Amino acid sequence: MENRGRYIYGVAASGSTVSLGPIGIEGNDVFTIPHRDFCAIAHSCPAEPYQSGDEETVKKWVKTHQDVLDEAKKVLGTVIPMGFDTILQSKDDAVSPDQVVKDWLKEDSERLQAIMEKIKGRDEYGVQIFYAPGTIAKQISEESQEIRKIKEEMAGKSPGTAYLYKQKVERAVKAEIERLANDWFKDFYARVRRHCDDIVVEKTRKADRNKVLLLNLSCLVAMESVANLGEELEKINNTEGFSVHFSGPWPPYSFVAKPVVPVKEEAK
Amino acid sequence: MNPTRDTRATLVDLLDRVLDKGLVLDADLIIHVAGIPLLGVKLRAALAGMETMLKYGIWQDWDEALRAIATKEYRQKKVATAPEREIATLCHKSGDTGITAL
Repeated sequence: MENRGRYIYGVAASGSTVSLGPIGIEGNDVFTIPHRDFCAIAHSCPAEPYQSGDEETVKKWVKTHQDVLDEAKKVLGTVIPMGFDTILQSKDDAVSPDQVVKDWLKEDSERLQAIMEKIKGRDEYGVQIFYAPGTIAKQISEESQEIRKIKEEMAGKSPGTAYLYKQKVERAVKAEIERLANDWFKDFYARVRRHCDDIVVEKTRKADRNKVLLLNLSCLVAMESVANLGEELEKINNTEGFSVHFSGPWPPYSFVAKPVVPVKEEAK
Repeated sequence: MNPTRDTRATLVDLLDRVLDKGLVLDADLIIHVAGIPLLGVKLRAALAGMETMLKYGIWQDWDEALRAIATKEYRQKKVATAPEREIATLCHKSGDTGITAL
């Protein structure tokens, strides 16, 4: 029986019918389904989602999803990426699954056009800025007068009292980091923002013991601005106590789901 | 510094994006998992694309309370798009998470 589903990897601004070969999830043949100026990058599958409790299997699928988008970009140019497991199906036997995809491209063409305009010539980059609490705490205790004073008072005290002083120092350091974190955030955010056409602030999460994630950003960056952003991040990365993780280029996953808003000039 | 796509170093970046983001489609078009639209499974992506979804009528049948939460989150996101307030709001957030992790 013919497969009733079409797994969609993304949409490109090309009206051509292209075969990308057996590079899809589970070795499926990937091809384009065109309608006018757009085409969906797809493989044919049963109308069932890819689901697995096995982490490795899911990772492999996700990597393949990304590999297909990379290949599609080489062949077709800018691609609007779909999330994993976006499968269109034909519910009516009289309508072929390819036609369902074409109808969708037709219906959604205005939105696709707007998104394409926004992301053309741009890629997404992940920027994560961490601080090392140990290094920062050391710096603070050396620089802060308040903490130096507590430390001086601590000298010569009995072990019990010294312990209380030590706790006092720790509290003071923590409060100072908290205060400084706001300044770092504002500073780094502004420095990264100016190289981006758009930016999404992602949730922070726990990193490992030795570093704290201060800023987690997805950045939409024009090709010509990537080197400048890299330079800025290099400076931050070279600042004692901070480190930067800079990933990409990714398809603009973070900039295709939300409504398209014009980029404000002053924000650039 | 140069951006990296090294598979080992960027696996989390990749999973965050491919599993939670990307273009959101009308629920009528896509397949369902045991009666729940896949979009329901991908709640985080759905929240991010709420305006689009409202436009396409996806949210109409959703539970009222869930919608209230989503609207609140969406408003916060919307506030976050105003440049000055954005920094203030987010600083507050980062202060919280950053420090408690110490």
